Amino acid sequence: MDNVKEKIIGIIADTLEVGASEINDNSSIGDFPAWDSLGHMNLLQNIQDEFDIELDPEEIIELEDVRDIVKAVEAKLQ
Amino acid sequence: MTIEEFIFRHSQVSPEKTAIIAGTAEVSYAQLWQRMEEASSYFRGCGLKKGDRVVLSASKSVEFIYTYFGAHLAGMICVPVDPETNAVRLQRIVGCAEPSLIVGELRHGGSHEVKAFSEIHSEERFDTVFPESTDHADILFTTGTTGLPKGVVLSYSNLLAAAENINAFIGNSSDDVELLALPVSHSFGLGRMRCVMVEGATLVLLGSFASMKRFFGEMERCKATGFGMVPASWAYLRKMSGERIGSYAGQLKYIEIGSAFMPLEEKEMLMRLLPDTRICMHYGLTEASRSAFVSFHDEAGHLMTAGRPSPNTEIAVFNEAGERTGYDEDGEICVRGNHVCSGYWGLPEEEFRQDFNGEFFKTGDWGHLDREGYLHLVSRKKEIINVGGKKVSPIEVEEALNTMPGIEESACVGVADAVLGEVVKAFCVCSREVDFEEVKKSLPDKIETYKIPVYYEVIGRLPRTSSGKLQRLSLK
Repeated sequence: MDNVKEKIIGIIADTLEVGASEINDNSSIGDFPAWDSLGHMNLLQNIQDEFDIELDPEEIIELEDVRDIVKAVEAKLQ
Repeated sequence: MTIEEFIFRHSQVSPEKTAIIAGTAEVSYAQLWQRMEEASSYFRGCGLKKGDRVVLSASKSVEFIYTYFGAHLAGMICVPVDPETNAVRLQRIVGCAEPSLIVGELRHGGSHEVKAFSEIHSEERFDTVFPESTDHADILFTTGTTGLPKGVVLSYSNLLAAAENINAFIGNSSDDVELLALPVSHSFGLGRMRCVMVEGATLVLLGSFASMKRFFGEMERCKATGFGMVPASWAYLRKMSGERIGSYAGQLKYIEIGSAFMPLEEKEMLMRLLPDTRICMHYGLTEASRSAFVSFHDEAGHLMTAGRPSPNTEIAVFNEAGERTGYDEDGEICVRGNHVCSGYWGLPEEEFRQDFNGEFFKTGDWGHLDREGYLHLVSRKKEIINVGGKKVSPIEVEEALNTMPGIEESACVGVADAVLGEVVKAFCVCSREVDFEEVKKSLPDKIETYKIPVYYEVIGRLPRTSSGKLQRLSLK
């Protein structure tokens, strides 16, 4: 599932305009200037589009850092 | 009286009461007062004196709050700025305010010497001197989308009047626990902070609305009774957490919503989810904070108005000739009250007075009062589009456009036209490809022909201020 994580980091880097090397498992909302509410919303939309999945609000509430996002996407893909 | 005196009083009467919660840290009113004095001592120890300016990077940290009120205790004028302020704007603000000191973390601080909040304290003791109510307390620089940012000067009595008017309308008490997720570099967030402090209630500092997990986590942990938000925050809350806010209906006593367009169905949804919460939406501007209010449940028949004047506030509408208009007749909305700002920093009094009709401050907003005293907002005066002499409110056109399939949201401005002077141009955020010729054909059912946009442009996102206000003029 490492490629899921890699892909997610790529999407985060593109959406939030940061270098992929600056992103790690613990990177979280607020860590980059563009990771504000609007950035978070765009990011989750891009992730859902890219993986062709749909996250419901109860799942979205729990997503705060890269680890949470990877876990949620992996669970959806199984 | 000043807000600082209220805090002093709370520190004497209820010293153990929690003033601020920031993560695991809890600060009592006695501790808050002590930290304010330490900050004040630092400034006074540096030789800074009454009327000197200090630029504060307004992050939502306890240190910001100590420094802000501490600077006031030292008689200084605070200039709160967004920590993300770009270098050009910062330079303009610094050039205009000529601060003695810049404090906090600034992303684009450039060559300016910036002191860290952690440095702003001193054990040295000075006698406490409360500022006079007519002294200048804050300078807030407006967004200035079309020109240079303007430094709005607010006196201590302006700040206290606004806080008391708001608390009176919302009905706050010292038992309240407020979640603060709004930026404190703007009038709304800063105002909420002052309202809580005047009341002797508890403020919970939350970084932003971005993390729903933190928002609901703190709501539960701190047993929050209220919060402030802008319509864009509600759109975000709804999108990211569905109807979860409804689970807190029993504990949420109030919500204050900032002035920006909010669709009726969004208001009704919030009312349905929170049937017993006092949901209040204000109309206001930096120069005249919260001049009108509408309480959703109590005034359900007037949800699409800007409400009625706030306590101790008068609103009048004037035409271009400077005469008061009759009921339902559009003109410039003007406001009178102790909360109206005291001047513009660096500009002569005569220039400030030009923004008044007698004792009424000209808001630059266009609208009318109805027979029941409700204020109807049409547009920003400068944003009105003049199509061959007919005045078009961009809001009305946007509302029509936003109902079209595929158009998520839109912003309209006037663009030059050789025949009509101006015609409407629409900037649209679309969820899919939209055939604008079809849109033009459908619009006559909703708006008059001359209001239909002639030009269309698809953009990725609409320009908004950090408090969510649409910046139409930046699209011109």
